[in-house]
Amino acid sequence: MANYVDRFNAADRILHWIVAISFFLLMLSGLGLFAHTFFGYFDLFGGPQQGIMVHKWAGVVFFVSSVLLFLRHVGETCRFDADDRQWIAKLGGYLSRKHQDIPQGKFNAGQKLYSIFAILAALVLGVTGLVIWDPTAYSRELTQFSLMLHGLFFTLSMVGMVVHVYLATIGNPGTLDGMLYGQVRKRWAKKHASKWYRKVAKD
Amino acid sequence: MKRKSFLIDTTLCTACRSCQVACKQWNKLDAEATVNRGSYENPPDLTPQLYNQIQFIEQDKGDDLQWLFINRRCMHCADAGCVKVCPSAGALYHTKEGMVAFNQDKCIECHYCVNGCPFDVPRYDARQKVTKCHACSDRVQNGLAPACVKACPTQALKFGDRDQLIAEARAAGKKLYGENDLGGLGVLYVLDDQPGTYRLPKNPAIPASIFFWKDVVKPLGILGFWGAVGVAALHYVTVGPQKFDESDDPQHKGGE
Ligand code: HEM
Ligand code: SF4
Ligand code: SF4
Ligand code: SF4
Repeated sequence: MANYVDRFNAADRILHWIVAISFFLLMLSGLGLFAHTFFGYFDLFGGPQQGIMVHKWAGVVFFVSSVLLFLRHVGETCRFDADDRQWIAKLGGYLSRKHQDIPQGKFNAGQKLYSIFAILAALVLGVTGLVIWDPTAYSRELTQFSLMLHGLFFTLSMVGMVVHVYLATIGNPGTLDGMLYGQVRKRWAKKHASKWYRKVAKD
Repeated sequence: MKRKSFLIDTTLCTACRSCQVACKQWNKLDAEATVNRGSYENPPDLTPQLYNQIQFIEQDKGDDLQWLFINRRCMHCADAGCVKVCPSAGALYHTKEGMVAFNQDKCIECHYCVNGCPFDVPRYDARQKVTKCHACSDRVQNGLAPACVKACPTQALKFGDRDQLIAEARAAGKKLYGENDLGGLGVLYVLDDQPGTYRLPKNPAIPASIFFWKDVVKPLGILGFWGAVGVAALHYVTVGPQKFDESDDPQHKGGE
């Protein structure tokens, strides 16, 4: 396996897929509450009451696993340097076919921003989710505001998820390998995360 | 079908509470044990077993106690916040008379509706299903007056064609609450004081968060999702994926 370099260990990968699976369960079970058009999605769970039940408990799993996932990578994702600023200025080179050499650490600036957005969204969805767990438990104003914020961060999360999935799969071939079995091609690492590659290649 | 309405003239109400009792009887709602709070007002709020309630506004006027009474219930809004937030189409609905009724078979027990209601009206019964005044939709469809109206001895409660009730009140020189709010309320009040004194909002409106949630976030969310999918697809077929040259792996010398 000389062409490969280790990127995520088993714990990283399992945690990520728990977050992802619980996210899609939340999406499918939440859509029926979001708009009449999607009410039929409750059939996937055997009915609206069952769907709401799945949503509540998947929410707990999503919240806890999102926090753990964030904590695992926080050392890499919350520090920005001059290269990151260059990445943001050039939008990661995604607007042109020509290869642009922007040295990046384990995660590029876009991924760092996404991980910060994801934990923020999980916190907001989690806290507002607890408030609306029983929509008659707290004051009307707090419940109304929480319903609105929950819907807002749900929609923002959907947009973030689409971009994330695209860039992690067909948008950047070879990226998914790391999350599936932990290793990426060295060539991939040199292209996408040259600073990180130099560091791990030395060890 | 002409829109119907209640007209409640608070100046005629004697707080006999025939309306509370008649509603319980017609809708088969149980009596509830309550406590003496030092007021004749009883019970103190709408409950799952109480669709209309006489509220006592007790004003201390020196040696005198002044009493104001108001029959509180669902206002049967044309632009109804409860209907707006209900995820299950048909659980709350406008009847052909323009009143807001409910269908418990369609209620999914989410308890959102009370948060959409500007008047804090819907309640949830032992089965967790929605309950509230439904304007005796079963009686009205059969040409009968609502039970509370029928029972009212002073005609403080009236029910009829909305236009006609408004015209009559105007002719009698009475000022109405609820004529134009929320597309016109299905309960019009003649009040003896400011709306605030009766704990009614001066300008009732759908709560701002609820409006933003349902009229801004929801449509923009659906647009945003498909927009993101569209942008990703467009990126793939124009700029294309960020490929790396696999044949050129550092240690890749003539196959593995
Ligand atoms: C972080 C953990 C989360 C918790 C604890 C949580 C909890 C809840 C709860 C309790 C409800 C109300 C269910 C009910 O009416 O009984 C709800 C509604 C909803 N949730 Fe979540 N949720 C979470 C995350 C998410 C995520 C990630 C999504 C998106 C995929 C989502 C989408 C929705 C939607 C669409 C609704 C319907 C209300 C609305 O439109 O805002 N939730 N959530
Ligand atoms: S509790 Fe029932 S009536 Fe009220 S919003 Fe939910 S589904 Fe609709
Ligand atoms: S008063 Fe409340 S429950 Fe009645 S129709 Fe208006 S919003 Fe719905
Ligand atoms: S109209 Fe019918 S349901 Fe409504 S308060 Fe009167 S008796 Fe009760």
